Amino acid sequence: MAKNRNVGIIGIGQTVHSSHREEVNQPEMIHEAVELALKDAGMTMADVDCIVHGNMELFEMIHQPDMWHVIGDGAVGKPGLRITTGGTTGATLVCAADTLVASGMHDVVMAIGFEKLQEGHTTGGITNMADPLWGRELQTGALTGMTADAMIEEFGEERAKYAAMKHRLIMDQHAMLNPNAHRRFGFVEEMLPAMIANTPPLVGELRIVHMCSQSDGACAMIFASEKVVKKRKAKAAWVKDHVTVHREETFNLFGNVEEITTMRYAAQKLYERNGITDPRKQIDVFEMYDPSSWWGLDWIREFLMLEGDEHLKMVEKGEIGINGKFPINPSGGVVATNPIGATAMVRVAEAAMQIRGTAGAHQVKKPVKLALASGFGGTLWTVLVLLSKKRPKLAEK
Amino acid sequence: MAETKQELIDLRQILEIPQRFATGPVMGRFLRELRDNQRIMANRCPKCGRFQLPPREVCAICRVPVTEFVAVGPEGVIQSYDLVYYASPDPLTGKARQAPYTTVNVLLDGVEGKDTLWHLLNETDPKKIKRGMRVRAVFSETRTGSIHDIKYFEII
Repeated sequence: MAKNRNVGIIGIGQTVHSSHREEVNQPEMIHEAVELALKDAGMTMADVDCIVHGNMELFEMIHQPDMWHVIGDGAVGKPGLRITTGGTTGATLVCAADTLVASGMHDVVMAIGFEKLQEGHTTGGITNMADPLWGRELQTGALTGMTADAMIEEFGEERAKYAAMKHRLIMDQHAMLNPNAHRRFGFVEEMLPAMIANTPPLVGELRIVHMCSQSDGACAMIFASEKVVKKRKAKAAWVKDHVTVHREETFNLFGNVEEITTMRYAAQKLYERNGITDPRKQIDVFEMYDPSSWWGLDWIREFLMLEGDEHLKMVEKGEIGINGKFPINPSGGVVATNPIGATAMVRVAEAAMQIRGTAGAHQVKKPVKLALASGFGGTLWTVLVLLSKKRPKLAEK
Repeated sequence: MAETKQELIDLRQILEIPQRFATGPVMGRFLRELRDNQRIMANRCPKCGRFQLPPREVCAICRVPVTEFVAVGPEGVIQSYDLVYYASPDPLTGKARQAPYTTVNVLLDGVEGKDTLWHLLNETDPKKIKRGMRVRAVFSETRTGSIHDIKYFEII
């Protein structure tokens, strides 16, 4: 990927995420994140050239929500784009903001992702994503036990179930350190056998506790050109690269045709372009869009291009813990917090916070120079965003 | 927020939207064959040879039109399944679905490639369902050209 100019993330704002933000309406909730991002960047709305706004509209069933939200997002009189790409929306917002600044069209772009899942029906909304000619009557939102089945078959029931629940435990331990996280249960290791045996199932071996939450929340991020970053002496996390991978459409969602997952395909492309041959050594922290602990566990193998049971060992040994060899989701991840239109953006925001050293109690201890964030959505699409502490060298065009 | 506790009012609404979707000549033929002939028709990519179910206008991988139709099934093998306990709302009616139910991906006899047909299985006992089991499509007595023309798949 050749860029015209470098882009730095210089402002991040997140609301507290929770199951019910009854005390605010949508524009008010978004406004909280916008204020925090501006404060973080030391800016006012006058410094922002363009707003990129997004969510998954079929949850709240408000079309063109950006019209209502203008009073909360500050977009009055400014150029703007509205983006909705399902679960990947937040990551696509990041890609769009990066592109708008890198191209030279705008110097400062604010991206805003939000969702108020209490105001609609999440699983009903996702079911409407299925093609209306066949799948709508079969799909159950994003709930599936197929990954659990496949992992149980590959690694045995006891080991697979333990590893998935251990992943869930580690994510909860991280969420307990993140004051913005939604579900903070306080699970401890001793509870694992009971959680494996007794928590209610949703679909097959996918249990409620494995599945991501339905949250209300918003995230805002400010992207600035290198010139602006230098002039303001801003603390920046640089956008080194990003890649988006689609797959065949919904008819074939569970057809198992693909030989390679979009996760592995995206990782391959990104690593090739950025000289990454050993992701676990070269990348310091990974914020993964883990819609469930089964998917989160399975996708470690894909994103890190591992073979066999290497990913299970990483979880069993606690290597993905905040103080482990390869921390994954020090924020607690999506299984803890999931305001869908913001979720994939929160991954990038959290990765940027790790690089900027502003993650507070869930800051990883080792120095973070390179951070990876993933988005998931659509019919198993993947977005990967690579951030660096060092200003990237612009590629020869 | 004011210091005195303020009543927070929420507004409740239910949307009802009648919808009508054109199926086009390819999906339309697939549905017509189900309705008139109780026959499941896949189509075959002229380039890579894979079968598509339901049939699609083009092969998205080879980027070529797909015009050849081939009858497959009605028996096949369970490739994967989901035993659903969660009573989610049916987007067509707004009413909660009756749980548990089982959705199944069947690799039908005669299919070249890995494309499965997605439908329901009339079994919800986890001990009685296994991947690799043989199943057959049971057609509905009244057929209208929809997914319901197949009632469900049953274990043979």
